[in-house]
Amino acid sequence: MAAVVAAAFLWPEPAKGFLGESSRIVFFHVPCAWTSSLAFVVAAAYSLAYLIRRNPWHDEVAHSAVRIGLLFGVLTLITGSLFASIMWGTWWNWDPRESSYLLLVFLYAAYLFLRAAIDDPERRARIAAAYALFGAVIMPFLVFVAPRVTASLHPQTVINPQGKILMDTPTRVVFFDALAAFSGLFLWMLSLDARAARAERRAKG
Amino acid sequence: MPSATTLTAENLSKSFSGPPLFRGLSMSVRGGLVAVAGRNGSGKTTLLRILAGLARPTSGRVVLERAGRALPDPERRLAVGWSSPDLELYGELSGEENLRFFRRAAGRPEPLEESRRRLREVGLAEEAIGRRVEELSTGMRQRLRLAFATLFDPDVLLLDEPANGLDVEGRAVLATIVERARRRGAVVIASNDERDLAGADERVELDVSRKP
Amino acid sequence: MSEEKADSRTTAHGSRLTAHGSALSSVLAVAAKDATAELRRRTALVAVLFFAVTALALVSFAIGPFGLPADDRPPVQAALLWIILFFAAATGLPRAFAHEEETGTALALRKTLPAARVLAGKALFNFGLFLAIAAVTVPGFGVLLEASFGSPAGLAATVLAGGYGLAVVSTFLSALSARAGQRHVLFVLIAFPLLSPLLLTAISATVEALRGGFPGTALRVLIAYDGAATCAAYLLAAVAWEE
Repeated sequence: MAAVVAAAFLWPEPAKGFLGESSRIVFFHVPCAWTSSLAFVVAAAYSLAYLIRRNPWHDEVAHSAVRIGLLFGVLTLITGSLFASIMWGTWWNWDPRESSYLLLVFLYAAYLFLRAAIDDPERRARIAAAYALFGAVIMPFLVFVAPRVTASLHPQTVINPQGKILMDTPTRVVFFDALAAFSGLFLWMLSLDARAARAERRAKG
Repeated sequence: MPSATTLTAENLSKSFSGPPLFRGLSMSVRGGLVAVAGRNGSGKTTLLRILAGLARPTSGRVVLERAGRALPDPERRLAVGWSSPDLELYGELSGEENLRFFRRAAGRPEPLEESRRRLREVGLAEEAIGRRVEELSTGMRQRLRLAFATLFDPDVLLLDEPANGLDVEGRAVLATIVERARRRGAVVIASNDERDLAGADERVELDVSRKP
Repeated sequence: MSEEKADSRTTAHGSRLTAHGSALSSVLAVAAKDATAELRRRTALVAVLFFAVTALALVSFAIGPFGLPADDRPPVQAALLWIILFFAAATGLPRAFAHEEETGTALALRKTLPAARVLAGKALFNFGLFLAIAAVTVPGFGVLLEASFGSPAGLAATVLAGGYGLAVVSTFLSALSARAGQRHVLFVLIAFPLLSPLLLTAISATVEALRGGFPGTALRVLIAYDGAATCAAYLLAAVAWEE
């Protein structure tokens, strides 16, 4: 992870068409966005597993995934906002892709509020799982449809319509390493957090 | 003509946050009258709810079978009747409207005379037509609960504190219902009052199961 | 006992038909019961319509004096319309489940019916409630805010498609939050992220309709959302409302 961070600043040359060093943000912003989306998928999958097996561990993992997803989602918004302030001079643009990420962060927060409002552990786990899965069905509308329906300021995504990857080799290496590093970080944090939650539950008896 | 329906509880345990209410409880309800006894807070209401399918046990399961085969969902709900002091019916509707609604909602509408017959059997005919449930007295509401419990002529009848608030006539109505249900299939009565449990064929003591 | 004999006599095909027929009549029975009870009690209806009228009045007083140029009005009107509809719905629609829990009638319902049918019946009732709100609010916009309804068909279609999604999602979420603490605030918090795609699409469709165009693309998105929400609510109904 440390190697990635160092490499992000030293190795590739800044991409053309972006102001100064700001294009380096892609090494942080996109992996954060990727990680928080990954968190969502993990949360939804474990919520489904909980509903099938009713194993409290699955619920703990789902809960941790949402918490960490919230963290990375907020980081995505912050890094995106920094980039926007450099490129266009404003912190927020009401760009559809920005807004849909903000809504995703609200969704995570809502999940956590819902959990906080229910005392009985079994019911809390079950209701939260139902909410997560319902959210998973609605999520495509949030993330994909709205930005497509209206025009976007957002820079071309890496996975573009032509299907080719438009980065030079050093950038590509660092970028994909960053993705991998962030994913690893996420999984590690997830494992720690969920296990801590399980230990707490067992201690309470 | 007792029915071939059996309700079996296998190794039930239930705990809310804390020590279990009961553990390793197994019982088989095949016919006749089963008494469930125990002090306040011993878990009688919870046990009956679990048997009725209204609560999940922490572990163990409840099986409802007819002639050896598990009943599929729509019949399963209606084959077990349940009444409890927690049961409330719709205050804005009359007793008759309540019963007719539940029959229609379950996909088993019945003619008006049938609904009225049920109400007469619990001694409610005049009051229940036209008066909203919220205007009925405690005793009348309890009789309506009994009408609800027997609404689908269930093979297994679960009654939690069925005599609550009943006057002498009400108790007579209850006794008739219990006798009829006993001959038809099985009745489970949970109560603090030994009078309600008199003449039971089987008895389940809840405080005893709690001991380790 | 005679009913049991009748059941065993039906053929497999016949009983499947009966099952579908009885599902629909169950759902209608629940919706009808809610409507009857509501018309006798009138608390939700009054609260919700009063809210809509108050919000409408407030908005007219606030925006009226500004005299926006005609072309800028539709986005503002569309956004305000759906904000009022959302909050009015948030005030009234969750009562369908909350009332059952508060009065203790939820047990009887849960005992007799599978969750999916209860949810469907209440969603139907809530859709009706929404239409009542819209019947007051939309004309209100025409009168008080001088909104010109460029494409009435487009507007009607948007209100129907958007309202259906709003009703289904609100009903599902109110089943989830029916026994949680801080119910009123909680509902708005959990509803907003899920309803935002619907609201944003409905607003943009309304803008198009107010300007005279028929919002075909947006309507397709709304219908897709409605379909997805309906399937998800149906599949998760039992989880949301068991025990």
